[in-house]
Amino acid sequence: MEFNKKILADLLVVIGLASFTSWYLLNAWFASSQPENLILILPIAVITLAMCSLEFIQQCRTGTTSAHEERETAETTGPIIGIFSIYVITLEWLGFDLATILFIATFLWLQGERRWFWIVGYSLCFGLLVTLFFSYMLPYPMPMSLFPTDY
Amino acid sequence: MIDTVAVEQALLLLSSDLTPWLIVIPGILIGLVFGAIPGLQISMAMAIFLPMTLYMDFMQAMLFLTAIFTGGSFGSGVPAILMNIPGTSSAIATAFDGYPMARRGEHNQALGIALGASAFGVLIGYLILFVLIKPISGLVLKLGPAELFAVILWGMTLIASLSGTHMLKGLIAGFVGLLIGTIGFSDTGILRGTLGNEYLLDGVPVIPAMMGMFAASELLRLVNTPYLVDNESARKVDIRLILKGFFQAFRHPIVLLRGSIIGVFVGAVPGVGSSVSNLLSYVETKRRDKNPQSFGEGNPKGVIASESANSTSEAGSMATLLALGIPGGGATAVMLAAFAMHNITGGPQFIREETDIVYAIIFANFGQVVLLMGLALLFLPMLASVVKVPMKYLIPSVLALAIFGSFGLTGNISGPITVLVFAIIGWIFRRYNYSVPAAVIGILLGSMAEDSLLHSYQISGGNIAYLLERPITLAILTLLILSLFGSKIKSFLSSRTQDLKPT
Repeated sequence: MEFNKKILADLLVVIGLASFTSWYLLNAWFASSQPENLILILPIAVITLAMCSLEFIQQCRTGTTSAHEERETAETTGPIIGIFSIYVITLEWLGFDLATILFIATFLWLQGERRWFWIVGYSLCFGLLVTLFFSYMLPYPMPMSLFPTDY
Repeated sequence: MIDTVAVEQALLLLSSDLTPWLIVIPGILIGLVFGAIPGLQISMAMAIFLPMTLYMDFMQAMLFLTAIFTGGSFGSGVPAILMNIPGTSSAIATAFDGYPMARRGEHNQALGIALGASAFGVLIGYLILFVLIKPISGLVLKLGPAELFAVILWGMTLIASLSGTHMLKGLIAGFVGLLIGTIGFSDTGILRGTLGNEYLLDGVPVIPAMMGMFAASELLRLVNTPYLVDNESARKVDIRLILKGFFQAFRHPIVLLRGSIIGVFVGAVPGVGSSVSNLLSYVETKRRDKNPQSFGEGNPKGVIASESANSTSEAGSMATLLALGIPGGGATAVMLAAFAMHNITGGPQFIREETDIVYAIIFANFGQVVLLMGLALLFLPMLASVVKVPMKYLIPSVLALAIFGSFGLTGNISGPITVLVFAIIGWIFRRYNYSVPAAVIGILLGSMAEDSLLHSYQISGGNIAYLLERPITLAILTLLILSLFGSKIKSFLSSRTQDLKPT
């Protein structure tokens, strides 16, 4: 069996899913071991764990395949996930208006847009218009920096 | 079954004055806009515009609200097709084949097919309601948690069906989804899996999770793609192709009819309704098709099955509202508020004493279908133009819209956080070949399945013989078994007959 970094990632995903299942089953069990609480969770968790074990064994037996080799690298997606995460996490501090403008502008720049007029113009127009629309339509206040808010 | 005098009165009521019809057009437009923008819900549109109905008479108010309902039912399929974002849980199955069609450059046809199937669904749904409103409402009263669980179990078989080529991984994804769906307080008041996070007390917000899994994870995968449709010549927006798609929907009458029947009966079940009906219709269409592998890859029948079922669900939920006064979901709950604002109580007495009003509401929906087709054909070319937008502009815009929409759904930061978390999970699932649709179905059905199973257990005291006393449950389970193994049983029986024949 050829065992390299690519299959390790696959195995880690199976282990991750099995770990979540085990943790959730134990969490539910400690909360209450009555049948009313475990009526669905217990059978589903047991079957999931059995399937994860089977998948783990299958992957170990199969080893690295052409599908593993052809898989795209995560180099370009990584930074995008990064700025998307920063956007969501900072929403409450920066407000929907400012955070959205900064997110769109950064995204465009990362994707190779170098025309400053487009980067600034589009991010400002989109961010401000969408923020105004949702703040007007939604029945509850939103975190804001540039617009007044009751949040 | 049909009161002909009331029919005449209803027709007179609708034709004597054109004023009620004038508010139908803005109603449909409001529904289309709210349905087509991810995060804005049909029920939200109805709630926002509910105070306006105070200045209308009851008939006008109902026409206005059902117009929003009809427009929104179709509108929620538009982002599912163009951006892989089901605006509501009732449009999940539309995304399965609608989005692959759009990516193939068949966005015009996909939107046309969705419109055709939706228009047919609303029409046939209200026609069934017109004939069978009393039997349907009687049937709904006979449904208990055991029947609900049987229906949900049917929906859960979709997990296996959507697992694709990596069957085991698909099943794992679906089952993990089911577990995620049960996070939070159970119906017995026990808290599971929240890690002390108060935002998870009511469970994982399903629609933001769906937005993250479906849309955001797909957009993250498409980062290096220049346009949604690769082929430049296929990127055009053509009303003729939309019309072609519209008529294409009618080339599959069986799929349309099956979706409509499933939609109206499952849609009438309070709490489950349209969320499950589109899945059931999809799974049955896929299972009965000669080429089930083509589903999920852009098979137009998948869009027809889903859209016909979810739009017919509207009529089903109206049946329980009008005949029993029970709202099946958010939209009908707002309608119930409109009933109260006009001092009207839905139920058997309302049906008996105000039959002409009930029929007028039904007939008005036939007219609404025509208006929906006209208005949608005007607006679809504009919406379809999204395929011409470069992905580097489309991706951040849709991601931001999903974040705004998720905040709109939860009213706090838990919505955006859920989109982010499930976007990353969805991206990992796609990368390592775990079925994202199966996981989403699991999340959607997890808590519904647990609640109905628990209630059945509590009612029966753990005695399985209870099921034998429930003829509707047995009938649903029999249909489920036949649907799953019918072809195998048939081929087994025919091979036995062949063996027994003297040679």
